[in-house]
Amino acid sequence: MNDVITTPAVLRLDSVSKSFGSNRAVRGVSLNIQSGEVIGLIGENGAGKSTLLKILSGNYRHDEGTIAVNGQAVQFRGPADALRAGIGVVHQEQSLFTNLTVAENIEVNTPIGRGGVNRLGLYNWRRLYADAAKALDLIGSHLNPKTRVSDLSFVDRQMVEIARAIRVSAASHTTPLVILDEPTAILERTETAILEREISKLRDIGSVIFVSHRLDEVMRICDRVVVMRDGELIADRPVDDVTEEELFHLMVGRETHAAVRNRRSIEPTSSPVISIHDLTRAGSYADVSIDAYPGRILAILGTSGSGRESVARAIFGAEGFDSGSVSIAGYSGRQLSIKKAVALGVGYVPAERKTEGMVGEMPADQNITLTHPGSAALGPFELPRRRLSLARMWFEKLDIRPREPEHMLQDFSGGNQQKVVLAKWLNSSNLKALVLDHPLRGLDPGAAETVNAQIRSVCDDGTAIILIPDTIDEALDIADDIVVMRDGRISGVFDLGHDNPATLDLLERML
Amino acid sequence: MVDKVLSEQGAGSISTTAIRIRESGIERRARFRGLAEPLSLLVALAVLIGVFSLLNERFLTASNFQNVLTQSAIPLIVAVGATLVILLGSIDLSVEGVMGATGMTWILLSANSRGGVDLGPWAWVIALGVALVLGVASGLIFTALKVPSFIVTLGMWYVGLGIATMLYGTDLLPRLEDEGLKGWTSTITFGLPNSFWVALLVIGLGILLLRNTRIGRVTLAIGNSETIVRSAGLPAFRVKVAVFAIAALLSGLGGILATVQLDIGSPTVGSGVLFIVIPAVVIGGTHLGGGKGGILRTVLGVFLLTILNNGLILSGVESSYQSAVTGAILVAAIVFAAWSQRDRLQVAK
Repeated sequence: MNDVITTPAVLRLDSVSKSFGSNRAVRGVSLNIQSGEVIGLIGENGAGKSTLLKILSGNYRHDEGTIAVNGQAVQFRGPADALRAGIGVVHQEQSLFTNLTVAENIEVNTPIGRGGVNRLGLYNWRRLYADAAKALDLIGSHLNPKTRVSDLSFVDRQMVEIARAIRVSAASHTTPLVILDEPTAILERTETAILEREISKLRDIGSVIFVSHRLDEVMRICDRVVVMRDGELIADRPVDDVTEEELFHLMVGRETHAAVRNRRSIEPTSSPVISIHDLTRAGSYADVSIDAYPGRILAILGTSGSGRESVARAIFGAEGFDSGSVSIAGYSGRQLSIKKAVALGVGYVPAERKTEGMVGEMPADQNITLTHPGSAALGPFELPRRRLSLARMWFEKLDIRPREPEHMLQDFSGGNQQKVVLAKWLNSSNLKALVLDHPLRGLDPGAAETVNAQIRSVCDDGTAIILIPDTIDEALDIADDIVVMRDGRISGVFDLGHDNPATLDLLERML
Repeated sequence: MVDKVLSEQGAGSISTTAIRIRESGIERRARFRGLAEPLSLLVALAVLIGVFSLLNERFLTASNFQNVLTQSAIPLIVAVGATLVILLGSIDLSVEGVMGATGMTWILLSANSRGGVDLGPWAWVIALGVALVLGVASGLIFTALKVPSFIVTLGMWYVGLGIATMLYGTDLLPRLEDEGLKGWTSTITFGLPNSFWVALLVIGLGILLLRNTRIGRVTLAIGNSETIVRSAGLPAFRVKVAVFAIAALLSGLGGILATVQLDIGSPTVGSGVLFIVIPAVVIGGTHLGGGKGGILRTVLGVFLLTILNNGLILSGVESSYQSAVTGAILVAAIVFAAWSQRDRLQVAK
């Protein structure tokens, strides 16, 4: 960090700290960001990134240190102050009104959107649309401002969020600083490419802080990477001077496991646990046939319109299908229900963890024994003490932190919640197949690794795994079989035991 | 890092095109979806009219048409307010109580058979003031004390009813004396009954409010996610109270018109209106969870239910069966309206 450059930094933090009770979430963080810079901010869940971002967005007030924007010391009293100073945050959870238009969402913090009304006391829709179009144009997006947000894809929604983040500072002609909090966590690989391009456009009009768990992305997009661990900023390096492995090491404090799976082809004697045949659902997918074998991980690749999520949900009985068949462990029914699927030994880790995978207002141990009480049950009753010791066992085995299974699940971090959701299914004595819908979504690399290791070990115990991965790399990393889907149909099948598809092959079949 | 090479080679542009193509499809479908729902309501309305006109020749006449419009006017006025409240994600059950209290206040302050004072236009102001107080009270208790609107307005229903009963007392029922007002609601002006003209005005203002004012837009935003509304610094509190006040004012207006129509003051002047208004909003396709829907849809819903009622009477369905038949058809209509939105993992509460 040198101060040779004469123009004041867009953002300058000087030993900023923030404590919650005895917990020092952010400790003495100093950081300088110049105009036009894209900074990558990485760190494990709980490293203090979110707290730091909330200080910058005006949601928290820091206890010590100074923050200066464009050379002037500031003290934010609320999100509005931060916006006026030119700091716009795109949060991890999307914060758009899906039932309103793109324009209204972008203008929500500007005078016109706040009821800047015309002479008759009515909204000036024409100006609203025009102003929003201008903001979109600035970031190179050609979305129609009159579109309803619910009709947009996720990547376009991100663009609306970005446009909103820069809108206020664009109006006051200050250089915007856009903070993107894991913008790619829920995006498909192809959508991420679009977002990456848009971020590089932001460079021309302001600066960016990019928070992500995907190190390859950070390396590709950013100029500089800063690493946080235990509330401290422990490294600040230009991307040219570091490697992904080094970053991982800095972040987690240990080396990556270079675990290479031993892959074999399907043994001719084994029969599939799950076999779907010519499965069709009008408007979603057609003629999909997939066999999943015990002890093998089958990854289904595809873009957001490929229908792969729907297929996965059909296997678990969460969605219906029109024709074809799903047979699980020999049972074959026309329409499968979730109840039947669970009874047959299928587990499902949904992509929407918070709404479908867990009961947040219930302690973690009760979440674990929710579906399969296992040894915690005595006839129709559940014994709290046995449940707790069972949960402790899983907490130990999956390294779920903090080791307090009696706490509400919603108070755990995302990665640890996901491990609890996984434990819920692993607690079954009869687990034959596990359907994993984006199991690593939003997890930091450390947590992702534990989850992956657990998936591998369950698989090696003879469970069939059907995986909907976030990235192609994730599939190549862990899967034995890869099925590629495009527009609702299978466009490629690879047995990694003898096939060795390149990323390009897979991508071509996806698009 | 094959990926890195790839994106640099412009794999991004292929994907962009692929996604854009798919999205234009999504947009088209969305537009169709927006049209399809009201369209199916119109079809249902047409079928209903067709069936009843076959069953009874008196059904499809100008006089019955005007009759239906008169019948629908008061539910329409009240339903505009109810739609706004439901768009917030809340519910207003106090409708009938507010109607009773407002109607009684108004008639006792106007020329009536009990004598007393005749305040003329001031009677309107004071009566609507009573409605406003009830509405603001519901809104404040709901918003500030964070009590579910369901319970607050259920209570306010009986508070309104109680006020009306106290005003009614033990005296003779107050009759409307003003000859100019008697039968005013069903008098035909330019082909439509007066009360229906009032309803049209209220509908127009309601649509304007929802589409073009801050209260309307924030109402929709609150229905979508109040958390986001608050974190964006929008005035959630004020808008919620305002919407409950507007709804109560419209209920009050409905109460006065109902009193005029009935010719006499009665605490139960609004009886049965809630049972038309809430289902009409739901059949119209406004989500009980808030955020989605609109006033025009509700108008169709009210028409559907009024015509159903009118047609059943004309078709000679015995009055003892009528509640059961109307109720059953209502349940069927709501199941039908919600059919397209079913999902296996959907939870209804």
